[in-house]
Amino acid sequence: MNKKRKKVATVTFEIGMLILALFWLYPYFWLVFSSIKPQSEIYTQFWPSAFTLENYQFIFSTSEKMNRDFIRALMNSLFISLTVTASVVFTSALVGYAIAKFKFLGGTILKNFTIFQMLFPGFMFTIPTFVVVKALGLLNSLAGLIVPALFGAWGVFMFTQSFRNIPNDFIEAARMEGASETRIVLSIMIPIARSTASIVGLFTFIGIWDNFLTPLILISDYDKMPLSVLLASFNHEYGSQIGALLSGAVIQTMPMVLLFLIFRKYFLEGIAVSFK
Amino acid sequence: MKSKQSSLKQMNAIKGWTLISPYIVHQAIFFGYALGWLGYLMFVKWNYLTPPKWVGFDNFVRVLTDEVFWLVLINTANFMLYFIPIALIASVFLGMAFSKLKVFKTFVVLSFLVANISSGVGYSIVFQKLLSESGPINRFLFQQFNFTIPWFSRPQLAILAIALMVSWKFIGYYGLIFLAGLNAIPQSLYEAAKLDGATKWKQFTKITLPLLNPSLVMVLVLQITLSFGIFTEPYMITGGGPMKRTYMFMMYIYENAFRKFTSTGPGFASVISILAAGISFGCIFLVRKMVEKEVNLV
Repeated sequence: MNKKRKKVATVTFEIGMLILALFWLYPYFWLVFSSIKPQSEIYTQFWPSAFTLENYQFIFSTSEKMNRDFIRALMNSLFISLTVTASVVFTSALVGYAIAKFKFLGGTILKNFTIFQMLFPGFMFTIPTFVVVKALGLLNSLAGLIVPALFGAWGVFMFTQSFRNIPNDFIEAARMEGASETRIVLSIMIPIARSTASIVGLFTFIGIWDNFLTPLILISDYDKMPLSVLLASFNHEYGSQIGALLSGAVIQTMPMVLLFLIFRKYFLEGIAVSFK
Repeated sequence: MKSKQSSLKQMNAIKGWTLISPYIVHQAIFFGYALGWLGYLMFVKWNYLTPPKWVGFDNFVRVLTDEVFWLVLINTANFMLYFIPIALIASVFLGMAFSKLKVFKTFVVLSFLVANISSGVGYSIVFQKLLSESGPINRFLFQQFNFTIPWFSRPQLAILAIALMVSWKFIGYYGLIFLAGLNAIPQSLYEAAKLDGATKWKQFTKITLPLLNPSLVMVLVLQITLSFGIFTEPYMITGGGPMKRTYMFMMYIYENAFRKFTSTGPGFASVISILAAGISFGCIFLVRKMVEKEVNLV
């Protein structure tokens, strides 16, 4: 009897959590459905009565004439995020390798320094970053968004932790064969620590893709804006075009969701690692 | 022999320095030099064009006597008053639910985490529409219960709405932090407690909560940092209104430093950012003092 009751409780709990999870996804369902239904139905019904791509058509062709070129913005976002991600993974691995595998004073200082850096809240750097980017003559350019992000303290920290567990034998063997240090990092260290590399890459990509405040401040031309800022400005001026606006939101959100779903294993690992 | 070893050590150091030098140069510019600017800007009046003018502590006086500064501080506290308990309690229970789930565990965890990686601008737009006067949620409430909730036109409701959205986004992530904490608690403690006849509630308050202390502190710190840095949601949805009651520190900094017409220059705004950072550190310090306990597992 008692056992049976317990079983009922377990089943109820599992199903209850499943429903709660679906409920949690409701904003996503609503967003995606809204983007493919006629604008008049967005507020009135959940299931589209008819499937339409007019909202996407609007975003991809009409908005261009309104000086809101979403395809251009998508390309800008991809370019910025991919460049920064590639750079951060590579440079963090290089610096992490130096700290983890070379015993020298600079390494020890740098290791403590990266931890110290992570104490500063990001909002303290909003104004000085603008000033420095301006001084470098990079205001209103994609480079202004890329250059300040080329290195990252968090990535260095992650790679340092992970490289520490890799035995030195691999490195010694490669050196015997005359491989350069860069070569060792690229073809030995990163492949062995590929889960760390994926985590650093993923979090960096998503962080840059989703960054809003920095490009809002640094970029003023519409054709140089990443998606986040262009979408916000579209919302500001053409907010009544709900269908188009929401399909823009789909385009901005979905790459991150897809990446998350593809790399979910590393994501969960990454979160677990950063709690230690 | 000895000199060979020391020259090897020297070689090692040279290689090391070579590898880290680009990073040091980059950090010197975008961390060190930037921080130097921040320190300098606090004491000058500047319009980004003509040479800065030294004004001493004038910016501090102006910020501290600005009514808006105190309003923003109250708004931030008001937001935390909703956000911290709601998201903290929800995520503790969510973490416990994660740990108990068997069949649907992966799906449920992923569903809550997908919320966490939603784009800031995208999800702000979605919630703005979902909660709007004629949006689906109010339509449903009106049809079923004959009332609507004017989420973004009453101050307390607007703050609550933003706190709820942010909770929607973050409790999956916080829940996972608690899950990690729960997994670190040895099952033997619960078995011993059961043998002693402890109730479920007793087990929760005497074992689970005390041993979750490190995770609790971590989530609290994340919540406080988030509250002081929140920008996209109020900027996109309320623009700081109604009656400036969702006007938060980051918007205050942004409008003073960068926005045409409202800009009073980077000096004034730098002082705000330093004060906000100081106050958030103060809150974190206070939380650690009050909540943090040494946890010993023997």
